[in-house]
Amino acid sequence: MRACLWMVIGMIGLAVALVSPALAAEDVQVALFVMLSGPGVDLGKMSRDGAEMAAEDINGSGGIKALGGAKIKLIVADVTSNAAQAPSVTERTLSTGKISGAIGYGASQMTLTSLPVIEKSQIPLVTSSISDKITQQGYKYVFEICPKGSHFGATQVLFLSYLRKKYNLPIKQIGFVYENTAYGTSTAEGLKQTALKEGYKIGLFEAYDAKFTDASPLVTKIKASGVDVIFPVSYTTDAELIISTMQAMRVNPLVIGGGAGFIWPDIYKSLGEKINGVFSVGSWSWDSKNIMSDPQRRSVVERYKKRFGTFMPEQAGEHYAMVWTLKEAIEKARSTDPKKIRDALSSIEITRGPAALMQPGRIKFNETGWNLYVHPTMIQWQKGEHRTVYPEEDATHEVIWPVK
Amino acid sequence: MGMKDPCRASWKKYAPPILAAIVILVPLAVPSRYILRTLVNIFFFAALGCAWNVIGGYAGQLSLGHSAFVAMGAYPTALFLLNWNIPPWIGFIPGVVLALIVAYLLGHLVFGLRGPYLALSTLAFAEILRILLLHFREQTGGSLGVTIPFKGTSVWKLQFASEQPYYYICLGLLGFCLYVTNRIHHSRMGYYLQAIKENQDAAENLGINLSGNKVKALMISAALTALMGGFYAAYFYYIDPDSVAGMDLSIKILLVAIIGGVGTVWGPVGGACILVVLTEASNYLFGGGRAGASLIIYAIILIIVVLFSPRGLIAFLPGGARSYRRE
Amino acid sequence: MLPVCSSGAQVEFPTPAQAGAFPREEIGTGPREMNTITLLQSIVNGLMMGGVYALIAVGLTLIFGVMNVVNFAHGEFVMLGMVLTYLLHNYLGWDPGVSILLVIPVMLGVGALIQKALISRVIGQSDETQILLTLGLSVLLTNVILLIMGPDYLSVKTPYKLSVVALGPILLSVPRLIAFMVGLSFSGILWLFLNRTTLGKALRAVAEKPEVATLMGINPKKMHWLAFGIGISLAAGAGSVLTPFFYTFPSVGGLFVLIAFVVVVLGGMGNIPGAILGALVIGITESLTAQYLALDLAMLGVFIIFVLVLVFKPAGILGKGKLY
Repeated sequence: MRACLWMVIGMIGLAVALVSPALAAEDVQVALFVMLSGPGVDLGKMSRDGAEMAAEDINGSGGIKALGGAKIKLIVADVTSNAAQAPSVTERTLSTGKISGAIGYGASQMTLTSLPVIEKSQIPLVTSSISDKITQQGYKYVFEICPKGSHFGATQVLFLSYLRKKYNLPIKQIGFVYENTAYGTSTAEGLKQTALKEGYKIGLFEAYDAKFTDASPLVTKIKASGVDVIFPVSYTTDAELIISTMQAMRVNPLVIGGGAGFIWPDIYKSLGEKINGVFSVGSWSWDSKNIMSDPQRRSVVERYKKRFGTFMPEQAGEHYAMVWTLKEAIEKARSTDPKKIRDALSSIEITRGPAALMQPGRIKFNETGWNLYVHPTMIQWQKGEHRTVYPEEDATHEVIWPVK
Repeated sequence: MGMKDPCRASWKKYAPPILAAIVILVPLAVPSRYILRTLVNIFFFAALGCAWNVIGGYAGQLSLGHSAFVAMGAYPTALFLLNWNIPPWIGFIPGVVLALIVAYLLGHLVFGLRGPYLALSTLAFAEILRILLLHFREQTGGSLGVTIPFKGTSVWKLQFASEQPYYYICLGLLGFCLYVTNRIHHSRMGYYLQAIKENQDAAENLGINLSGNKVKALMISAALTALMGGFYAAYFYYIDPDSVAGMDLSIKILLVAIIGGVGTVWGPVGGACILVVLTEASNYLFGGGRAGASLIIYAIILIIVVLFSPRGLIAFLPGGARSYRRE
Repeated sequence: MLPVCSSGAQVEFPTPAQAGAFPREEIGTGPREMNTITLLQSIVNGLMMGGVYALIAVGLTLIFGVMNVVNFAHGEFVMLGMVLTYLLHNYLGWDPGVSILLVIPVMLGVGALIQKALISRVIGQSDETQILLTLGLSVLLTNVILLIMGPDYLSVKTPYKLSVVALGPILLSVPRLIAFMVGLSFSGILWLFLNRTTLGKALRAVAEKPEVATLMGINPKKMHWLAFGIGISLAAGAGSVLTPFFYTFPSVGGLFVLIAFVVVVLGGMGNIPGAILGALVIGITESLTAQYLALDLAMLGVFIIFVLVLVFKPAGILGKGKLY
């Protein structure tokens, strides 16, 4: 029966661990779930930077007017990069009982595993994760502001058709390699469906473990398959590994990246000039038309660049937009009650202001929680930055061709 | 050991029912989801530790791959619920049956090996399962895992918006595991296992059926572990090969049993308390990725226990040594 | 707003029932001809990793041979070597090829200390005790580094990271080639040391017949810490040469310890040439499985060999391994 002693000690320890500082009653608390450790840390930092900048801008321009100028306070929680940890962190953060809304998680895998907790806690989550599954489960408390994974894939293939027509490319086979978590798999699904519809012959369709440390078996496969175009869907470390190994092994198909690793500044930091010319799909890019044509939104990306030293990456932009979107919803709900905010989110339509950072400049969530106006954009790395080149309604730059 | 302190005697008499009452009443008095969730964690690991103890503590066969059995319980439960709407309290049965069969086969395969070879083969076994789970994406969801949607409170599906029901279910499961362990502890099989653990060859010479007993112990252990795996799927709503078939889980399970007290009934409960509380404290202090650092403390405790008190921490407590059968 | 095909048709997306299904029939996975070049490339890739595995495994098998201790923490010493090399690279700009010359002696000392403090206490005790101790050590080392360095994946960027050497149509990545050569040569040096030097012979004496060795005036305790020190310092050295092409992070040890054990069992516990040979075999197996079966099944091939050996010839392919 000594176990009872342990249990008593345990409960005391718990009580101690639960002590948390009191916060100003006026602040509206928004949980920000980001990956601040593990392989996803670069993603997490970008997200946090964007979100914090948004919170500062909101608080600096008068706060939430409907609540008498109340300030937004971001409660930042590190969900690690381990999908099984995310629900526990979520549970712990939301249990303080003062959170009105949440933003997160960065990687689709983390979002998916935390959704049951979010739904149970009845706190609305605005997410930039792309997996199709997020909005397919009938959850009422999730709002996805970005394109779906399958749309990514489709856009990439359609872009290839666009290039093929424009530059008369002889393409016999195309190949897809994708990291095997929710993000890669969702995108790959879209790739495959669209490729088949467009009449391409698929020479390779292979998943790989994003945590792998050696890309040579994968690249050997790419080489053996003889594909002319490769669509890798990767995060940063694997994107870098794949590109550098391909160059080392002299395997040079046309590369149309699947976003994430191919679109974040880190890959330019590791590969330098070698990244120029590479295409990628993105769920948000800093120089799309809806941003460049509006002075207020334009200043956001310019200020980011000045402050953080690099062009505003996809995750930062989305998180900026998400915080503002939540703010607009709170304004509409005129309350900090999560249920009311959730209802506001489901009926809101945003066409102006910083929240409209998401292309094409209009946000409205459908009954499954998805932002039905958003679509992916294609970028090309030009001179160390990426430029939106497709589709026409968002493009601000021309494709640089041929790609060496 | 013969003198009985009257205070202690009455303490021992009244402590169990008081403790039981506390444990049963906690959810009604404490509304915090967080505390309840943490207690469920404790019960969960305690049950797993008990299950491991049957083969690792009593029989002395170190299994470093027990998470495989967790996966064998979790995946069928989750997949049946997701694909065919079969509730977890039915869905866990195929998982347990699978675990029994695999334990039987595995036992006969590897129990001829000794020491490190045995431990390594259990490790390899769990890794093989994990790799296969990752690979057969169509069936298992691969590294995406299986996410069970929460569709609102439903007793049939064992889905609840509040923590209380889960608390009682897990407590009940823990009670069951403790009961089974207790029965083994006091049974003939328990004696045989202890003999095998002390000296396998001598036990064989005495006519004890080595492989029969070891396999039986493994089967019981596997079944209990798979049972808890099924609970995990229903409670956590998300399983993936790394979290339910990975080495981390295997090591946590054996830590709970060894630190708490091998070969005892209640040892794993203590081990689980320490493990979970330390994890929570370290999450609070370090947060995020460094949270795993709490394992440093377990590792140190483990090393101390191994070097100085192989019976586990429970032996440090007064009267704790009595938890063991007299030799 | 859904994308539109070139044909004008709207792209449809899978329904929830369809989503997640991966019908394989529609897709070819590339010309799977037993292209000789692909085969050779695959074998060469595997061979190169095998050299590194050899260096890790000979240390493990040495420790077992001399001390009869199964070091479950062996992978963590590889990790420590990697971390040390990373730090030297990051703060002093040292190339891993140079760092290894410091890492090995340093780890020799560290190994001796650990041996004296911990391992020596369990020599001769039950297998379970030894396993648990080294397991505890493994968890301890992993998490201490986790606490100090954080969980992030670190990389060492050397100027030759992307270079290749062409051997006809076969491409050899330079960092891996270096790792292979270092691995094999250091393993060879160990073998020479054990067979040609007095100290080495003393170690072997303790391994083969400890009581007789003591009678001959050899101090087994000294030999123990020497063996442990050498064993883990070689593992750390392997870590050093891995850094240019392998990410460094606290739990990377776990990846290597399994492979090391498979190699050691394959080659026979305590058998140095067996470990070297076994490592090459395992390296090639891993590579071929990844290439021809599936990338994510690479380790499966390795484990299958492991299970086969355990069941049919636990003494190892080259025999002479101890069984108990």
